[in-house]
Amino acid sequence: MNPDRNLGTLLDGTLHDTLAVSLPHFRPELCLAATIVLLLLCRMLPVLRLVDSGFLALGGVLFSLFFAWNDVLTLGGGAWASSLGDLLAGRQELFGGLLAFDSLTAYIRLLLAGFLVLFILFTKVSGIPDREDGADFYTLVLGATLGMCLMASANHLLMVFMAVEMASVPSYALAGLLKGRKASSEAALKYAVYGAGAAGVMLYGLSLLAGVLGTCHMPTMARALASLDSMWMPGGTGMALAIGGLMVAAGLAFKLSAVPFHFWCPDVFAGAAAEVGAFLSVASKAAAIALLLRVAFGLGTTGSGPDHAVQMAALGETRHFIVGVVALLAALTCTLGNLAAYGQTNMKRLLAYSTIAHAGYLMMGVAAAVALAGRDAGASRSAVAAVCFYLGTYVFMNLAAFAIVALLRNSLRSEEIASYAGLIRTNPGIVVATGVVLVSLIGLPPLAGFISKFLVFSSVMESVSLDAERPLMLVLLVVGGINTVISLFYYLRVLKVMTFDPPPADRTADAFPLVSIPGALVTALVVPVVSLGIFWSGLYAFARFAGAFAS
Amino acid sequence: MMDFFVAPSILLPGLSMPSCLATVPLFAANPFTEPVGVIHYLVVGAVLFTAGIACMTLKRNALGILMGIELVLNGANINFVAFSSSYLRGEGAPTLGLDGQVVALFVILLAAAEAAVALAITLNFYNNHATVDVDRADDLKG
Repeated sequence: MNPDRNLGTLLDGTLHDTLAVSLPHFRPELCLAATIVLLLLCRMLPVLRLVDSGFLALGGVLFSLFFAWNDVLTLGGGAWASSLGDLLAGRQELFGGLLAFDSLTAYIRLLLAGFLVLFILFTKVSGIPDREDGADFYTLVLGATLGMCLMASANHLLMVFMAVEMASVPSYALAGLLKGRKASSEAALKYAVYGAGAAGVMLYGLSLLAGVLGTCHMPTMARALASLDSMWMPGGTGMALAIGGLMVAAGLAFKLSAVPFHFWCPDVFAGAAAEVGAFLSVASKAAAIALLLRVAFGLGTTGSGPDHAVQMAALGETRHFIVGVVALLAALTCTLGNLAAYGQTNMKRLLAYSTIAHAGYLMMGVAAAVALAGRDAGASRSAVAAVCFYLGTYVFMNLAAFAIVALLRNSLRSEEIASYAGLIRTNPGIVVATGVVLVSLIGLPPLAGFISKFLVFSSVMESVSLDAERPLMLVLLVVGGINTVISLFYYLRVLKVMTFDPPPADRTADAFPLVSIPGALVTALVVPVVSLGIFWSGLYAFARFAGAFAS
Repeated sequence: MMDFFVAPSILLPGLSMPSCLATVPLFAANPFTEPVGVIHYLVVGAVLFTAGIACMTLKRNALGILMGIELVLNGANINFVAFSSSYLRGEGAPTLGLDGQVVALFVILLAAAEAAVALAITLNFYNNHATVDVDRADDLKG
């Protein structure tokens, strides 16, 4: 043992690492944690019960957003706009290597905090949760978001598992928010049982990976993997690594609602309130993609060092394995999600399958990014940027879609597609807004969804030029193209019902008009969907900044 | 059989730190004749894991499924603790050290939290359906 490292210096080192290095970069999460404590305190004191929990949560999230924005500015050196993409990621390890702080962390946290602001405003307008449930609901939402922020910055297998659980456990409770409803309790039970099972399998896989490689710290694991001689793995080492990797992939696939671990998704979305669906489909998906990027790049690449090139070459086989698994899951997820969406009559179920399909497109981008990492770091960064841009536009598209479902439920008392028939005669504004959102989800120009899909597909196209991955990536490209065409039909069917079908005879209430508070919310969410399709360079600069983490 | 595992240290003598990864086999030649090592713990962990998965897939009672999940988590915990011991892993092999035990502690904590939420959800399901049979959770489909 090194005599210099006695207890005193060790404590000093830890103190410095915690207070001076880690905590300043951890402020967004600290704000969320403090808000959770405040929300719970307000339930205990009779006087403070008068405080509206929604606005309290909104205040805390705004602080968190401010600090997340500050982190982006510090990393970007104050001059963001066009030069951001060329800057380095500014990677730092926090809390002794448990978390990584770099541009991806900063971007995803900003995205999550920004989404939460919109989401809380949306729940205030839609009226679920009511005042009584408000404190519970926002506590759970903020708690899950805290876990998602950790998912985006996990650098250690302990944090991978902890973050997934911290994001999942509150989500199970959220799914059962409508306590008296049969469907809601069924959704929560299914989510909890599937989710806990997937987390258990993932933990077993993590234990195999960590045990064989002798460390839980992902960059160190990558170096250990690089030093393994792929031709010479005695005593089942290679088998244990492969099985462990597949089990971890199963756990991540569950969070991503990727086929064949997608069963929970439609049931949970159909049974839970549309508000919860919005949260799960956007925030949970963004965090899961960030975690997938973290794990794939954490194990498949090494940071810059003297023998960087040698180690990257040695990790080729690991990347090949990761790309194979992710690409296969992506192709399956996309196809099955789009095909199953056809027969749906419930709008929330249709959006659930649409969420599954979009997870597939996002995973295609991740597969391309990992495949490109070995040859061309710049192209790999662009692929990550494409995925991050997709997530950025996805926030607005999907939140708007679920907001329309929730607000129409409030006025029409139904979430069936058939009940939207003939809405264009009374509410043309709402139908146009829905049309914009759905066409953007298909990915047609000139809307935001088109740019996202274009960027992701062009990264996949780029990776077709790689010799090792060519057949797989070609298949991925073809599958992606065909799926876009398939998705056209079920999204447009909703619009067809809204415009051409006669209104149902038993309709008693009108939908909300566009000039009202709910209408203003929908407009505020739809305007970015249109404007990001035309003025996309600003968000893309941000996404390129996030992509710089893959260096 | 033994030659197979001894060979690499002779073939690759000069590799630095992680060279031990390739030289120390995960699975001993014959677990029945070897002294107790990490492999024996891995077998116990694997049995627990398999029992847990079987429990999760075969039980129709929600509480039985939750018990299966606990078994899976504890199977993984045994792996983590076994891998953290340099005594069990043998001379020169990489170990998780304290990390493995810390992970195990956190998993115990998270398992408790997860069980609490899952039990509350099961109780809520029982209040609405008057059963905890998961096959009766079939209202949502399509």
